[in-house]
Amino acid sequence: MGARILEVADGTEANEVFARHGWTDGLPIVAPTPERVAAALDAALLEPERILGVEPVRGLAITAEKVAINAVMAGCRPADVAVVAAAVEAMCEPAYLLHGSAASTGGSAPLLVVNGPIRTELGLHATDNALGGGGPNVAIGRALRLVLLNLLGCEPGVLDHSTLGHPGKISFCLAEDEEDSPWLPLAQERGVPAGVSAVTVLACAPPRQVMNEWTADPEEICETFAAEIRANQCGYSIWPGNYVLVVPRQLRDLLAAAGWQKADIRHRVWERARVRRRDWEAWGKRALAGRGEPDQEFPALESPDDLLVVAAGGAAGGFAAVIPPWLGNRARAVTAGIGVCLACGPEEER
Amino acid sequence: MTIKVLDPTAEGPAAAARPAAPLATLQGATIGILDNGKIRVDRFCDFVEEILRAEYGVAGVVRRRKRNASAPAPADVMADLLACDGVISAVGD
Repeated sequence: MGARILEVADGTEANEVFARHGWTDGLPIVAPTPERVAAALDAALLEPERILGVEPVRGLAITAEKVAINAVMAGCRPADVAVVAAAVEAMCEPAYLLHGSAASTGGSAPLLVVNGPIRTELGLHATDNALGGGGPNVAIGRALRLVLLNLLGCEPGVLDHSTLGHPGKISFCLAEDEEDSPWLPLAQERGVPAGVSAVTVLACAPPRQVMNEWTADPEEICETFAAEIRANQCGYSIWPGNYVLVVPRQLRDLLAAAGWQKADIRHRVWERARVRRRDWEAWGKRALAGRGEPDQEFPALESPDDLLVVAAGGAAGGFAAVIPPWLGNRARAVTAGIGVCLACGPEEER
Repeated sequence: MTIKVLDPTAEGPAAAARPAAPLATLQGATIGILDNGKIRVDRFCDFVEEILRAEYGVAGVVRRRKRNASAPAPADVMADLLACDGVISAVGD
């Protein structure tokens, strides 16, 4: 392996040295010893010098070895590193807009949604407290934060100019509850074959929780989702893009009982999640409301497919969450295979 | 007894990059100004251009504007700026 080696007395000193250099997020780290990093690379079937991606703006090559070092620091087990590596590959696709999302005052976080058999192999968390952290998800999400910090220089106030940021920046890794869902998993909806593990990554704003326990009507339930998206359009950003909708069990059961699939939800929300220019006035943005035709319509989703519906969360409670995009359709959700190249021929699989 | 740990930061070509040498003089130079496209950055750049011309004697100013502040400038814009002696990349917000 090619990374520079430092010698320290023990794990405690490693923590002190790394914190002093600004190589951590403020939490303790697991010392990235050569043995631990080698085990992580072995488990992910990655050569250390393999370039997982090149950050498109500054041309920074991100190697598997450096990603594995940061994943070990974050507390990932060797088997978790394949998810982190796939997420890095996805984030380096130009459509994700890595540099802009990491530097912007908008303060986005990379949201990871994991699908496929690797969820159960790793014991990823997908039910109660799905957005609040649990299981190996936390270390996997944190690994991305450390990758951004140490490999792209995303230190707050240096490259990361998030005005506020949000708690998802600490760690934001979700797994879909495929076993308990009647719907097609997100990755399969996005073209990944069944049985293949994949991660979908989106630069996103913080989640907005909604509740509706007063109806079994699928149109009414979707109206609650759409109304929250409209509020985000007026309060945060008008631009259409990939919205994520996380639907826990209670509302999922009601929608499924009415025969609604994800495609039906996407279509209904696409129809209803749109605002008119004049709506801005009620949000204290009279200057924008008066800038054009008052009835000019702004859809939140350019097409129904722009809504990413994810089954996750605990069984009780009529809750759901809308997770808005950071910069509308200028930064898109990207899906990458885990341990497999979706765009390659069979001979190129790693 | 000590333990070995690995450096988590970027090493290699990116770390070895060096800033370009500063221009010896702005007198007679052609300066590019890349505006990131945010609100009123163009006005700020107007002032910069005025000062460059009036006080530093630049021969020409090439103004270009990005449509998306968060994305790289497109190839044609970069080609225009590469022809300049120096470039100011204006990150306004």
